[in-house]
Amino acid sequence: LCMLWWLNVFKTLTLALVNVSRDCECSLKERSSTRPQAQVSVTRRKNLEFEPLSTTALILEDRPPNLPAKSVEEALRHKQEYDEMVAGAKRREMKEAQRKKRQMKERFKQEDSIANAMIIWNNDILPNWNCMRNTRRVRELWWQGLPPSIRGRVWSLAIGNELNITPELYEIFLSRAKERWRCFNETILDNDVQADRESSLDLIKLDISRTFPSLFIFQKGGPYHDLLHSVLGAYTCYRPDVGYVQGMSFIAAVLILNLEEADAFIAFANLLNKPCQMAFFRVDHELMLKYFAAFEVFFEENLPRLFSHFQINNLTPDLYLIDWIFTLYSKSLPLDVACRVWDVFCRDGEEFLFRTALGILRLYQDVLLQMDFIHIAQFLTRLPEGMAPDSLFSCIAATHMISNNRKWGQVFSALTKDGNKEIANHSPALRS
Amino acid sequence: MAYAYLFKYIIIGDTGVGKSCLLLQFTDKRFQPVHDLTIGVEFGARMITIDGKQIKLQIWDTAGQESFRSITRSYYRGAAGALLVYDITRRDTFNHLTTWLEDARQHSNSNMVIMLIGNKSDLESRREVKKEEGEAFAREHGLIFMETSAKTASNVEEAFINTAKEIYEKIQEGVFDINNEANGIKIGPQHAATNSTLSGSQGGQQAGGGCC
Repeated sequence: LCMLWWLNVFKTLTLALVNVSRDCECSLKERSSTRPQAQVSVTRRKNLEFEPLSTTALILEDRPPNLPAKSVEEALRHKQEYDEMVAGAKRREMKEAQRKKRQMKERFKQEDSIANAMIIWNNDILPNWNCMRNTRRVRELWWQGLPPSIRGRVWSLAIGNELNITPELYEIFLSRAKERWRCFNETILDNDVQADRESSLDLIKLDISRTFPSLFIFQKGGPYHDLLHSVLGAYTCYRPDVGYVQGMSFIAAVLILNLEEADAFIAFANLLNKPCQMAFFRVDHELMLKYFAAFEVFFEENLPRLFSHFQINNLTPDLYLIDWIFTLYSKSLPLDVACRVWDVFCRDGEEFLFRTALGILRLYQDVLLQMDFIHIAQFLTRLPEGMAPDSLFSCIAATHMISNNRKWGQVFSALTKDGNKEIANHSPALRS
Repeated sequence: MAYAYLFKYIIIGDTGVGKSCLLLQFTDKRFQPVHDLTIGVEFGARMITIDGKQIKLQIWDTAGQESFRSITRSYYRGAAGALLVYDITRRDTFNHLTTWLEDARQHSNSNMVIMLIGNKSDLESRREVKKEEGEAFAREHGLIFMETSAKTASNVEEAFINTAKEIYEKIQEGVFDINNEANGIKIGPQHAATNSTLSGSQGGQQAGGGCC
């Protein structure tokens, strides 16, 4: 018992102990046959330079004078135990050092591969974007994750600019937004304006403070606060029919972290213009249900046991997919992992968002199978913090978006053509 | 842990009124000054005791933005209790109560107990809605009313627990058909064991769940 407890405090004491161990050994020899004097104990305590904790004292010190002295055997045994502990600590330290060395090596290797990838992207791929983007080599390199320095550029290229937005156009919408803010501030007590509060202006302000709060860069006074405000404000002037919808602030924030202001806006507007994003941000419930139904087809195909476990527990995909799709995982996954999801999302399109969802479910399948409704719901709406990107990506790689020889697009369009009859009753169409 | 009943709650109200903070204070007894934005729905659970019976609350915390109403509507189904929250420092959140109430009444079962909550009572200096106004609204619409502060935890326990008490009383009075899960009440294994008239399968199903 003593040993066990000792091991717990050992980490913190090891260094100090190793330094003083020689002292202790000497005093142990001197005193093993004679009764200790209080004076000796006190000076030795001072030598230790730290207040010995109970078990240190048990091993290194003789018993108090009112108790019988340790026998020679006992003292020897204590010394031996103590030596073993010191040796154990040294072993652990060595191991730790080796682990650190391996970790550093791994990091250097990673940094090397990022540096190499950056050269390839800069010299070979980006100058020949159109003819290279779909080659096998580029697609493979893309899957590994984009080097942060070119990430924004590749995203921009991959998202495209179907809407033909220019930086000048952005400036125009931005100045319109600024005009509206001015009017809003001047007539803040006017009741007519109050009606508009929730729809955009006030809400954007409120939500910016709730966007990546832990990063402290988008909040008032932070370096990106005004930028985020501008991009979202300009968008509501550009697309008043869509307006500001919660979740957008996260997407704009991730883009701002990787692109210049006008480019971020262009990517933002084009990204939201994609069919899946439009369906969600317009909260087209019917269409959203079709996306969920298509998702469930691939869910059943890939993870049949978990699928039926979710069905038994009445756990419908909207409960977790809404958050994941609206924010493109930027709220639910660690930011570095989310960026890697975005990388491949830019390469593969909406299908990859649902494939990622299945990857997450696969990654946690074993724990999810043990849970009931509320625990699954809580787990999926608040995923564990320390998710390793590589384990997620190997789970995504193991997820195949083929069902009965049909690809995502085919399954989805079959569902939209079928009309509403199968989806009407809450449980989405699953079997074709 | 075994429980006698499981009640489903839904928390509704405008965005930014403190729905998620109320839930966090109730389940974790802590306050987060800057809470993440809720997109879609989030969940909480806690066990409480009423009349010596263990009751598990399963709480659905919804997104408040107007745009998400159509999604939120689908979550009323099977709720036994609703916390309708406004912010006493923002008049507009109080003005929107009528539409929230219409939604709630239309999409839930008629016996759902609704607790009206005026949150942020700690911000007295910024108050825009008088307590009397909240009380009057509640009286007029047959709701229970409380002012709370998710920050100081004032009345937070009471808000959740009093709602449960009201539901529990309705069960005792026989208002709720507890065998119909659409009412937002499930019978737990604890209850099933002592109540021989209930089918074993119901208890068995619940037994699979852990504690909260």
